[in-house]
Amino acid sequence: MTMLRVRDIYVRFGGVVALDRVSIDLNRGEILGLIGPNGAGKTTLFNCISGVVQPDAGRIFFDGRSLRRVPPHERARRGIARTFQNLQLWKSMTLLENLAVPMDALGRRSTIADALGNPLSRFAERATMERARAILHVLDLDAHANSLAGDLPAGIQRRVEIARALAMRPKLILLDEPAAGLDAGETKRLADLLNAVRERFHVSMLLVDHDMSLVMRVCDYMYVLDFGKILAQGRPAEIRSDRKVIAAYLGEPNPELPAAPDGAVQPVITSADRKDGTPALPTGAPLLGVKGLAAGYGALEVIRDVNLVVRPAEIVACIGANGAGKTTTLRAISGIVKPRAGRVFFGGRDITGRTPERIAGMGLAHIPEGRGLFPRMSVEDTLLLASDNTGQRVDPSVAYEVFPRLKQRRWQAVGTLSGGEQQMVALARALLARPRLVMVDEMSQGLAPTIVRQLFEMLSVLRSKGIAVLLVEQFVESALEVADRAYIFEHGTAGHEAPAAELRADRKLISGSYLGSAVDEPAAIPSEANGNGHRVDVELMEVLSLKVPPSVKRAIEERATREGRSAGAIALELLEGVKH
Amino acid sequence: MILGHPVRLAVAVAAFLMLALIPAGFDVGLKFDAALSVVWAFGILSIVLLTGYVGQVSLCQATFAGVGAYAAGMMFNTFHAGYVVGIVVGVVAAFALGVLVGLPALRLRGITLAIVTLAIALVFDKYVFQDHIFDWFSGGSGGWRVDGANLLGLPADSSSHLLAGYEVLLALFVLVALLMVNLHQSGAGRRFRAIRDSELAASTMGVNLTRYKLLAFGLSAGIAGLGGSFYPLIAGSVSPQPFWVFTSLQLSAIAVLMGVRYVPAAALGGFFMAFVPDILTRYGHGTFMGHSYDISYDWFSLALGALLIVQLILLPDGVWGDLHGHVAKAMAAVRVHTQRRVRVA
Repeated sequence: MTMLRVRDIYVRFGGVVALDRVSIDLNRGEILGLIGPNGAGKTTLFNCISGVVQPDAGRIFFDGRSLRRVPPHERARRGIARTFQNLQLWKSMTLLENLAVPMDALGRRSTIADALGNPLSRFAERATMERARAILHVLDLDAHANSLAGDLPAGIQRRVEIARALAMRPKLILLDEPAAGLDAGETKRLADLLNAVRERFHVSMLLVDHDMSLVMRVCDYMYVLDFGKILAQGRPAEIRSDRKVIAAYLGEPNPELPAAPDGAVQPVITSADRKDGTPALPTGAPLLGVKGLAAGYGALEVIRDVNLVVRPAEIVACIGANGAGKTTTLRAISGIVKPRAGRVFFGGRDITGRTPERIAGMGLAHIPEGRGLFPRMSVEDTLLLASDNTGQRVDPSVAYEVFPRLKQRRWQAVGTLSGGEQQMVALARALLARPRLVMVDEMSQGLAPTIVRQLFEMLSVLRSKGIAVLLVEQFVESALEVADRAYIFEHGTAGHEAPAAELRADRKLISGSYLGSAVDEPAAIPSEANGNGHRVDVELMEVLSLKVPPSVKRAIEERATREGRSAGAIALELLEGVKH
Repeated sequence: MILGHPVRLAVAVAAFLMLALIPAGFDVGLKFDAALSVVWAFGILSIVLLTGYVGQVSLCQATFAGVGAYAAGMMFNTFHAGYVVGIVVGVVAAFALGVLVGLPALRLRGITLAIVTLAIALVFDKYVFQDHIFDWFSGGSGGWRVDGANLLGLPADSSSHLLAGYEVLLALFVLVALLMVNLHQSGAGRRFRAIRDSELAASTMGVNLTRYKLLAFGLSAGIAGLGGSFYPLIAGSVSPQPFWVFTSLQLSAIAVLMGVRYVPAAALGGFFMAFVPDILTRYGHGTFMGHSYDISYDWFSLALGALLIVQLILLPDGVWGDLHGHVAKAMAAVRVHTQRRVRVA
């Protein structure tokens, strides 16, 4: 039975269409996955369902009733609870109190009676606290019942978010990136927890996460969003091998460069600038060295034990799923985020903990995500800002030689330029500061593929001028075409390092880091049954779970795996047999 | 026990008895200060509820007190109602205005909301309390005179029975303070605090933001209005000056200074706001080591500003908040220490 029916939802913010006629269906008892690159509209869809954002068109039905004009708190009372990506616990309240708020919302309690503390109110209070304790117990949070939510580490806070959502006695929980900032082990435990929660509380879930090992492990069915549209839908195994999905996550392979044939790796990476005699893989003393780096925000530890090296005139790419810690690594290197542990060396000197301006002054330029430009400033003035880094007036004509297009637009305000041109301005400004290393974060975000390719060619120009580049990139294909080496980030650490050419040949390794390699391991659960044996016909199995002793149920499940059929089908067959 | 924990109740009764008896030995000026300190304590208590509990900003709390004062004065003077009726009308009027002021708070927050409420304080000061159009309400620029009032038969005229008004008001303050502490621990208090910590999470977890924000503004204004409605009784008259914009700002500043999340801070703040300026003007002049000096009322604002800076650095949770925390920690340490000694023995 369809529990949540989203039909043709359309949302636009200013000129940007965030969701373009998106329709999804969620069945009772199902864990539905929703994935997609950054800015695909996943959180906007969540906000539409929980009522925080009003869609411009389209309808949402929950349990057969329209949610049109229903305020958020009323939707919550009807059974839609949610968790938040950026941890929205009530920090100055204890865990018990955090759980009590949604519980009270279900009952009717009077403010005046509460203030007077009358016996009825106190009775209700005791009942609320008992139930809150019970939920905390199930999620193994008893030990923290009276701690303030804000004092707990982020991993536990994520679990409290789930506990609080359960306190609402929901029919559906919207989970917004519950695995963000968790390491591999914690993510595995989270997956087990979500399955246990579904068993015990009989809730359906809609799950958004960038961590594919989690999504692949728990979801029954998935939708893929890209640029506000449904790109694909299907079972996790189908999605993982869907060409369109892989392209949306990794970028299209360059049509001019045929995919690397096995064993013939070397010639393929001969991109344009290789001909000017740069050595295939630069060696020598590292320009940038990072040892055991850890950093985070507040209670959240985003990266831990990151080790990487960039040599002079080398392009190094950091790739990996969103939330794997790439951006935070760049920020910790350039001093925007204070490292909590580890050391950063640049040009032979220890720069750990120095201020961003001093680090920039040493020749380390950082182009942040979103480019870090001032929209009302003209192109020329923006380029002249580089003078602050060099200490003397820079000559913008040097930059115009590299980027002729900018010369035509030198007096235009940066904000009026196209996205690709803005990125050129950012690169040109970095170039004028005469850096030894440029760090670029998500250069291609929101840009068309052809422009992305032009920009990446610019990076090789920087390399030919002896400048090293460290880049973070979602479009892995383009990044690996230009890069010499790459680090693959997973769960907040740089797990794997390899020459870019090898990675290009071994597409499976990359798509594993984005689309979940954990479930490919031989020990993993057969994807058809998706780890739970009886996921296929949930409603039927709900009935069976009441009436069939566990031993019989297990026998059915074993037979299902042996014969490769669904447990529901076998159960039905047996039931038919009993009837006759 | 209806009013919460018995120990808390006992402490409240003891505090009331002590505070009610002390001013008997004061001269008339200090007796008036004592009564005024409870009026301002109500004002700060209203900020504890609105800002400390619910996280909303308002810079027009003195306006709510003023509305209570003028409404009570008008009821007594033009309608010749008993003063108790005046108090009830004053509280209801302030509550209603509070709900109205709360309407913009449904959309605005932070600095924008602060400026809107500041504008309301300015408008009421200039165009309601002072202006002639509202003479029917404000009694003209001279304000209302209140003579020979009684509270349900208890003579409470300001010239002869100043302390009667003070004691009734103090009793009400202790009562409302106890209710506020109960509210903090209760379900409604949790919903208020949930709004303070994250509105987004509160609304998606079933808290009706519209209802609870308006309720918070209404209750807060009602509390300020209750204190204000006693002002004409204890001062013998009501005029615009005590309820002008600057008083609102002072109330907010002192609430932060004393600890905006704590009910007892309201009592400290009221005392500070009523007594310190008067003592400064009384004893703030003379000669010291051959130099004559003169510390006037202006010094009060200066001192308040300086104290606020010191407090924000040294006691970020306010005077009561931090000192109370230290004392509690010290007590716990002593308890652990004594227990250990007992076990050894």
